[in-house]
Amino acid sequence: MRFYFSTLAGHRRGVLILLGWSALEGVPAFFGGKLVGTAVDRGFAAGDPLAGVLWLLAFAALAVAGALGQRQVFARLGDVVEPMRDALVTRVVKGVLNDPAHRRTPDASAVAMITRHVEVVRDATAGVLVQARALLVTTVAALVGLATTAAALIWLVVLPIVAALLLFALMLPSLAKRQRDAVMADEHTAEASGAVLTGLRDVAACTASDEAYDDIATQITRQARATITVAWANSLRATVIALGGFAPIVLLVAFAPPLVASGRLTTGAVLAAVVYLTNSVNPALHGLARTTSTVVMRLMVALKRLQEAAPQTGKDDGEEIPSNGEFVLRDVTFGWSADAEPVLRDVSLSLKPGDHLAVVGPSGIGKSTMASLLTGLMPPDNGSVLFGGAPVDRVVPEVRHHAIALIPQETYLFTGTVRENLALLAPWATDEDLLDAVDKVGAKQLLDRLGGLDASLGHAGEGLSAGEAQLLALARVYVTSASVVILDEATSHLDPAAEARVERAFAGRDGILVVIAHRLSSALRANRVLVMDGGRPLLGTHEHLLKTSPLYGQLMLAWDPTRHEETPLPNR
Amino acid sequence: MAKPGDALLFSVVRRDHRPWLLLLNAAIATTGGLLLPAALADAVDMALGGTFVLVTVLWLLLLAGTEIVGDAIGIVLAATITSRATAWLRRRLARHLLAVGHPSPFAAGDAVSRMTGDCGNAGGIAVTLITLLVTAVSSVGAVVALALLDWRLAAVFAVSVPLAMLLVRTHMQLTADDVLTYQEVSGEVSARLLDSVSGLRTIAAAGIADRETNRVLQPLPRLAAAGAGMWRTQAKMMWRAGLLLPAVEVAVLTAAGFGVLEGRLSPGDVLAALGYAALGMGVVGQIPQLTALERTRASATRIAEVLDTPPPARPAVVPGSGIELRNVSVDGALHDVSITIPEGAFAAIVGSSGAGKSTLAAVLGGLSAVDSGTVVRDGEVGYAFERPALLGATIGRSIGYGTDADEAQVRDAAVAAQVHDVLIRLPQGYETPLADAPLSGGEAQRIGLARAIVRDPAVLVLDDATASLDTVTEAKVDAALTTALPGRTRVVVTHRPATAARADLVVWLEDGRVRGTGTHQELWDDEDYRAVFTGGE
Repeated sequence: MRFYFSTLAGHRRGVLILLGWSALEGVPAFFGGKLVGTAVDRGFAAGDPLAGVLWLLAFAALAVAGALGQRQVFARLGDVVEPMRDALVTRVVKGVLNDPAHRRTPDASAVAMITRHVEVVRDATAGVLVQARALLVTTVAALVGLATTAAALIWLVVLPIVAALLLFALMLPSLAKRQRDAVMADEHTAEASGAVLTGLRDVAACTASDEAYDDIATQITRQARATITVAWANSLRATVIALGGFAPIVLLVAFAPPLVASGRLTTGAVLAAVVYLTNSVNPALHGLARTTSTVVMRLMVALKRLQEAAPQTGKDDGEEIPSNGEFVLRDVTFGWSADAEPVLRDVSLSLKPGDHLAVVGPSGIGKSTMASLLTGLMPPDNGSVLFGGAPVDRVVPEVRHHAIALIPQETYLFTGTVRENLALLAPWATDEDLLDAVDKVGAKQLLDRLGGLDASLGHAGEGLSAGEAQLLALARVYVTSASVVILDEATSHLDPAAEARVERAFAGRDGILVVIAHRLSSALRANRVLVMDGGRPLLGTHEHLLKTSPLYGQLMLAWDPTRHEETPLPNR
Repeated sequence: MAKPGDALLFSVVRRDHRPWLLLLNAAIATTGGLLLPAALADAVDMALGGTFVLVTVLWLLLLAGTEIVGDAIGIVLAATITSRATAWLRRRLARHLLAVGHPSPFAAGDAVSRMTGDCGNAGGIAVTLITLLVTAVSSVGAVVALALLDWRLAAVFAVSVPLAMLLVRTHMQLTADDVLTYQEVSGEVSARLLDSVSGLRTIAAAGIADRETNRVLQPLPRLAAAGAGMWRTQAKMMWRAGLLLPAVEVAVLTAAGFGVLEGRLSPGDVLAALGYAALGMGVVGQIPQLTALERTRASATRIAEVLDTPPPARPAVVPGSGIELRNVSVDGALHDVSITIPEGAFAAIVGSSGAGKSTLAAVLGGLSAVDSGTVVRDGEVGYAFERPALLGATIGRSIGYGTDADEAQVRDAAVAAQVHDVLIRLPQGYETPLADAPLSGGEAQRIGLARAIVRDPAVLVLDDATASLDTVTEAKVDAALTTALPGRTRVVVTHRPATAARADLVVWLEDGRVRGTGTHQELWDDEDYRAVFTGGE
């Protein structure tokens, strides 16, 4: 919310221009009642039709001026709303991309939701600017106009309106809460039906159509109830506003007779007062009630949801400088929460330049967590991950990102040329460097097929197979000067031969290579193997582990049950 | 012209008595609203006369009260009618989509939009109709009231409205270009954001979030330009609309002024004329409602389209031991397939992509209907898939989905599927909401397996359900399945030779036909059979 207002305040000039034109828009409200009153008073009722028509023409001219003001207000709206939308999108994208909680990655529907909410904020801001401003200008103009024509009755008019507005303000919090509940109920209905309708095959396989129906129906009923609850609140709100708007009219006619009889109030003044109330103040009040309860609430809900989607995190960068290129892990333990079973328990090992470590174990046992800890994406719960003697997550970010490269299983390709994609992490790389890297990881054929470095890629590597996308991601890291490379199942979609080529290429670079293995063959190429299988991890060379660890032997046997009799183990 | 959805809309309106209440309420409130300007005129004349007449003021209060209370009731009634109708339509639609089942002729995204968007639109039918009717009646009433004041006023109004509308005729060119550009650029930004979000781990590890933010936001200036264009267009439209009411008002006021001059009308009547002119213009503001009505009908048609789709006939399964398919055909997928899998056997279905493996697996357990042929089977079938859709509120419930399995049974199934160790490491263990659980493809597969195991089926069909598991885990799962469900018939769709080698019987599919059956070793001599594993991967 604070961000929203500060952005709006940043466009103060645009808002001021908008208010300037609003003043013009308010002119008919200010003079309208008076002119109609005068047209009757001095014109038609006084037997001077020409004067009456002229006064009415003046009224018409003012209406044109007001419409002109309104036109300018809308034309200027873009100057305020669009930059605000730009700022909002920028902030949300920044927030999403900087989100340190990598576990809840937003998916396609979450991105669609973000887009929708940004649009709501845009429309609602425009709506509020138009409505709230019109209300303010019109009410003030009309009340001032009223004060100049029927000063004796001004309190009769002002008090009920102020009372209604106060009451309305008191009702706002509960109104907001109900509106928010309704929006949430709406989203839950969409989610529940989305889950079931996407999974119809699974519903049938589980013969669970009754449970699936109940899940959806519950949300549907809840949503219907929430909508009706909002309607009750809206109804109450409308009543308060309507009473506040109508009471002044009744009070006016009830208290006017003695004043008119004593000559303190003219026919024109009474007419003007009623016109002000019915034509300006009342519509403006209704507009306020409508805007606040729907538009403002939608705005607040959307801002809140955007806030959740893109949390603003104060980054606390480390300042440690590593003294060398070695990794030391001491008794590292990590779990997703205090109650959950730790994913890693008491891992200790050290890695020196030239080391090639393979991490093997069943899927889901926490191998990727190991990669995240080594990259400094998150700190361990207990123990320490030291890079050059400093906790890796506290190392100066520039140094850390330069020295350590991670290639995750899910590749990142964006729309742009192949060159842009390959040089993402090494913008200084020449075409020769890039082509060399492409050649080393075995992606030359792919590059030729794509049409060279200048070929363009679609969204998310559209048209590339998962394996081809991985090859490009591998070449991208190969070209960097990172001294530590971590392949986190980065070759999972390559065939065994291509995988071997990639691993050998990276092993040929100086520095540390850590391979989170998808296939056990990765272990045969490494000079050390870390076996993770739930309990305390085992560390050693392939041969050492074969001799000392029955578990490791079993893993190797399970690798190829069809051929184990003749060739128990693949050759290194 | 009648649309297929009109009958549905009719039944929506008819199933509830509340629309009649809303109509009655609207009739009372509208009558009050129509009498109000006249009452106000009387009250003003009374005030100008300098004497307080209680009856006049009370009459004004009564009419105003009627309108205010009527509006308040109307808001609640309208919301109740719409939301109940919407809920009713949604429930019917959900029930029917579930009855049509798998494979659904409606894509999931499309079905969801019918459920959320279209049902919401169609649910508003009664309120839209009543609003249109009431506004029309109230506009006609206003013109009649003008005529009752002075026929000249009604004449001036009747002439000036079309003239004014001609004058401010809005060429509703909502500059389609800007709108289109805006939507396109907005979609482009979303697509770029989605790219980056999929590569979040790469971005975080390389510390390039700020640079990638700029990349995502590259198209932003074009978005702002298109947006500004949209506002300019709207400004033109507002300008024209803003002139309409004052033009008519001035015409009517002038006519009323001459009425005062000639003594036909009192000063208060001038106010009444102004009020009725505004009321009469109400119908102009309702033109968008006509578009809403068309939208409602279109939505209803989309709902009716689903409701009119008959659920496919699923012939009863012939009971027998093991599984037997006799001359089974499924249009476009399977042709005259006959196989026999003895009770307790482990059968593998192999074949290259598009050979009909998944369809065969679906037919075996009655997941999808057959066009001709017979399925002979005994007992319940449990399914596990390559990409299971996990359903239910929590991880634990997603395993027990559709059953009344208790905590212990769920846990045992998870242990057998080799996923228990993963689940207890989640933030809230088995109680972790599904939406909050960070699951890899392999983990989801094993939960899908657990879901099949917990049902304790006579036949287990695994449709490539271990494809994302590494070889070690797959072997463990395999062993655990044999322990957890001993002696069950098992049918496995697979791409892995190691799995086919373990099977008692391999069914080799090609282009929807059975190319061969036998053991893996027997079939291995055939070069084409070997190509299924080497060429396909």
